[in-house]
Amino acid sequence: MEEYHSGDEVSFNPDDASNVVKECIEGIIGGVDYSQNKVNQWTASIVEHSLTQLVKQGKPFKYIVNCAVMQKSGAGLHTANSCYWDTTTDGSCTVRWENRTMYCVVSVFAVAIAL
Amino acid sequence: MKPSCYDNVGKAVKRKCETTIAQKRDISLMDTGANTYLIRPNYKDKFKAGVAKECIGEILREQLYGVQYDPEEVPTLSRSLADSIKHKLKDMAFDRYKFIVQVVIGEQRGEGVKMAARCFWDADTDNYAQEIYMNDSLFCVAAAFAVYYY
Repeated sequence: MEEYHSGDEVSFNPDDASNVVKECIEGIIGGVDYSQNKVNQWTASIVEHSLTQLVKQGKPFKYIVNCAVMQKSGAGLHTANSCYWDTTTDGSCTVRWENRTMYCVVSVFAVAIAL
Repeated sequence: MKPSCYDNVGKAVKRKCETTIAQKRDISLMDTGANTYLIRPNYKDKFKAGVAKECIGEILREQLYGVQYDPEEVPTLSRSLADSIKHKLKDMAFDRYKFIVQVVIGEQRGEGVKMAARCFWDADTDNYAQEIYMNDSLFCVAAAFAVYYY
């Protein structure tokens, strides 16, 4: 909704980012089943679209978007992250998504550009 | 501590600065001469992906050798891996870098997995290192992203 951001408003909004990411995932692998041939293209599209949407918000952040897609076979998958940064300005969010045939975990990290 | 610490170069100023960051910065200032603000890291402080990759690989081999997948254990294992990689990178004296470490551990059951990452950053200063470890029972992907703060 907000079209511009004043200088002091530079905090990362994780809820906003997870909505953006969820929409991207839904749009790309929402209605499909796992396919070995397509998964390369899917992960690339998910990270690229999410990143484009985040950058479009025009906030002064560097972004890192990481996506893992795993076929469902009863096997477990765990992700963890650990960051060394300024917690007052930088932030992250992780989205967990699944359908009948696969899991998808996307993590977004935003690092403020201090000017 | 105060912005005035950065304004001049010289020993008197250096003595006044109390925080470690300010001190480190002062030392780098002396290397580059008269510049007041650094926009790029000096080569010796720059994040070196090859060195980082080796050190990540070492940690993975150390902590995962012969480990069997156990859903009870893996959450703590992945967290401790991420933390030890972060601490190791901090100790490697890449000056003025922030680190983001992502660890994914999965069970080997012949399923397909694909991981991808995209970054929007300053390609001159920022970089990443990634390493994979696999044994009969589990696979692990660890990626470390280093972001320079100006």
